[in-house]
Amino acid sequence: MTLAAPPSTLVAPRALLRPDRAQALAGAVGALALWQLAALALAGSYLLAGPVDVVRYLSANWGLISRALGITLENAVLGFVAGNLAAVALALIVALAPRARMVVSAVALVVFCLPLVATGPILRVLYGPGPGPQITLAALAVYYTTFIPLLVGLRAAPASWFDLVALYGRGAWTAFVQIRLMAALPYLLAGLQIAAPAAFLGAMVGEFTGAERGMGVLALRAMRALDVEATWAIASVAAAVAMVAYGLVGWLSRATALARPELLVALPPVPGAGGAGRRWLGNAGMVAITLLVLIGGWWLAMEAFGLNRFFAKRPDDLWAFLVSAPNAAENRALLRDASAQSLVYLVPGYLAGLGLGAALAMVLVLAPGLAGAVLPVAVALRSVPIVTTAPLIVLALGRGAAGTITIVAVMIFFPALVACLQGLRQTPGQVMDVMATYGAGPFTRLWQARIPAMLPAFFAAARMSVPAAVLAITVAEWLATGTGLGNLMALTASTSNYNLLWSAVVLVALGSALGYAAVGALERAVLARVAPEQLRD
Amino acid sequence: MTAYRFSRRHLMGMGLTGLGAWTLGMGPRAALAQQSDVALQLSWLHSVQFAGSYIAAERGFWADRGLNVRLDSGGPNAPVEPPVVSGTALVGISAADYTASAVQQGAPFRIIAVAMQNNPFAITSLPDNPVNTPADLEGKRIGMATANTPVLRTLATLNDVDFDAIEIIPTQYDAAPLLAGEVDCLLTWSTDIPVSMYVRGIDSTVMLMADFGYTLHSQTYIATDDSIANRRDQLVALIAGEVQGWEEYRRDLEAATDLTLARFPDAGLDRDTQLEQARRQVPLMFSELTDANGFGWWTDDTVAQNIETLALLGMPVTADLWDRSILEEVHG
Repeated sequence: MTLAAPPSTLVAPRALLRPDRAQALAGAVGALALWQLAALALAGSYLLAGPVDVVRYLSANWGLISRALGITLENAVLGFVAGNLAAVALALIVALAPRARMVVSAVALVVFCLPLVATGPILRVLYGPGPGPQITLAALAVYYTTFIPLLVGLRAAPASWFDLVALYGRGAWTAFVQIRLMAALPYLLAGLQIAAPAAFLGAMVGEFTGAERGMGVLALRAMRALDVEATWAIASVAAAVAMVAYGLVGWLSRATALARPELLVALPPVPGAGGAGRRWLGNAGMVAITLLVLIGGWWLAMEAFGLNRFFAKRPDDLWAFLVSAPNAAENRALLRDASAQSLVYLVPGYLAGLGLGAALAMVLVLAPGLAGAVLPVAVALRSVPIVTTAPLIVLALGRGAAGTITIVAVMIFFPALVACLQGLRQTPGQVMDVMATYGAGPFTRLWQARIPAMLPAFFAAARMSVPAAVLAITVAEWLATGTGLGNLMALTASTSNYNLLWSAVVLVALGSALGYAAVGALERAVLARVAPEQLRD
Repeated sequence: MTAYRFSRRHLMGMGLTGLGAWTLGMGPRAALAQQSDVALQLSWLHSVQFAGSYIAAERGFWADRGLNVRLDSGGPNAPVEPPVVSGTALVGISAADYTASAVQQGAPFRIIAVAMQNNPFAITSLPDNPVNTPADLEGKRIGMATANTPVLRTLATLNDVDFDAIEIIPTQYDAAPLLAGEVDCLLTWSTDIPVSMYVRGIDSTVMLMADFGYTLHSQTYIATDDSIANRRDQLVALIAGEVQGWEEYRRDLEAATDLTLARFPDAGLDRDTQLEQARRQVPLMFSELTDANGFGWWTDDTVAQNIETLALLGMPVTADLWDRSILEEVHG
């Protein structure tokens, strides 16, 4: 047969390929083949271009793409650094002054919830032309998913280690540097791994605020021009960048071979607790302080930068719009109906995305060989801008519940997957040794040891997915359904109704904070049953 | 307020530069040739849509008038009104309905010139299932941003079409749903999606809404009351450059297209698409009215028609929204 090759060439590659690499390669080839088949099936619909068309486009337009890539990459890297430094600073503040936790977390959460329609014009007016808004938006896209794992990581050390430090007569500073910072490093790296693809997407979306160059600008142009090859070539490059960034951070994490902490700890209740009554009072006081800081900070920031009230609304503007104006009742009804429409899709999308992430993480732990094949596809799925994939999801599932819930789930499952994988792999070695000694099978190990060990990481993912899901539903509503808060916010572009926009922003922030608190309460209830030792202060 | 501060700081800057020039022995004349820096906020990404401005910049139509104009790109999350209200941009390119809304929300804007006499909104469909008149919309599925619902409702009212018989499908601004058969027609501009389809060899039926009573100025130049009162010379110089630039544009569309491509090599612009867009926007921007009175002009009659359309859109305005004094100085 003409296909027969001399034996030597058959042997050589087999020696080069380790089994896991072979599996990864097979996964990649399979994904590419599926993609090409889908593109062939959808030919003429102007929705999807296959890998062959993408390669052809890239080779013909590499100059254009590489220049745009350079610009967006630079902004993404600057934003990645700035955002993660901010996350580390915030986490350190909380670690050193635990009483500030609620205020810092709330501010971090609210800033993360600000939608692009509200921040875009403000950032552009503040920075003028140039890369300022792009870098800022990349930073905003990453800091929260680093901050939350760090909060957990800074406490992820067993009490015996602290006893050891005390035994050697060293103080709190040594304990902080030698134990807490070291214990936090794996969590920091898990956060950075989620942040790397997000920074690139953030920089791309930041270009929607009036940039002249970059991948986001090219993507906009390609989508409008019905240039499906260019659209998917840009999406592919974005996905490739994200995969490389994800891989690099992962490699860094392995190369540094950090000692794994032996215990995972959930966030403790607010410190300073006395009796139940006093604790409740203390909590209420913290909530009041937090609200005061948020509202005061909001007002101060806008005044300090002299932002015009036409588009940068202050708390008193919203009070008038929602409470004291003659049509305030009408405005409230509009927002209430829109919130209800959003919630209907938000909750199932959130649960689906989170569940999908956790389930996939478990599958990957049971069958580690699959990770090489599945993870790159998962990273790619997360890194392709949703504006590119949403039309495909809508085509497959429609603009109703299925399509909308899927868009939300796709946007949040990736952080959940990474965090859960991290948690599952953190199972203390001694526990696994005990399991091995008793001859426990993989399912027993998963159920009895790994899942309980994963829970804190899972809940961290559940917490940081709350604002992400709220952002996702507003995007899905803008792209697919034309309903809900996302639609109200998108309307601002033509109506200049910034009162309505900022009211929606406040609702989104409040809803996220409530969801976050609810997840926290659920977390404590669950851990109290399965892992009470993790709730110690 | 901000605008005023900006100009004062600017004057101070000029004074310092003048002093510098003086000490270098160049004398006061060199200092007088100093250019004022202003910005024009565009309404979308750079393209031939703003080619008249590029010509004005390239050929020195603004420099001759002592103005250095920075052209700020727009985008999906870059609304025009905030930078103009903040004074970051002296002039913005808006549309009569956007401006009316902003004024309703308290922004002190006036329209000082009109680039598109005819509104570019159009219903784009495929020739085998065409929408040739508004009546054809009944029973059809239209893909559009829900933000534009009032636009469709106004078209229906103007032409006695049953609005409830039209099914609105919220889509992105994209031709794919039409080609995939998810919708029967799209609400588009006549100068972008139909052009993309044409360049890709797909025939389309384009029903310009301006031909069916939808009279609304688009690509309008807006400025604040404060600028009109205190920065008049700069406004006159900026609009005069625009007028000259767009007249040159009309004279040679190919040159205008090539200039656009040369200025923005990284914008991913395609020459065929840009040239076709340049052609299609000519009938929107130039008419007997502009032939008689010059680019950017309007009359009391056209304003009255605009006010009627705006009322149907739910935006009651008066003729005060328009201020022709700058144009009168330019053309006078």
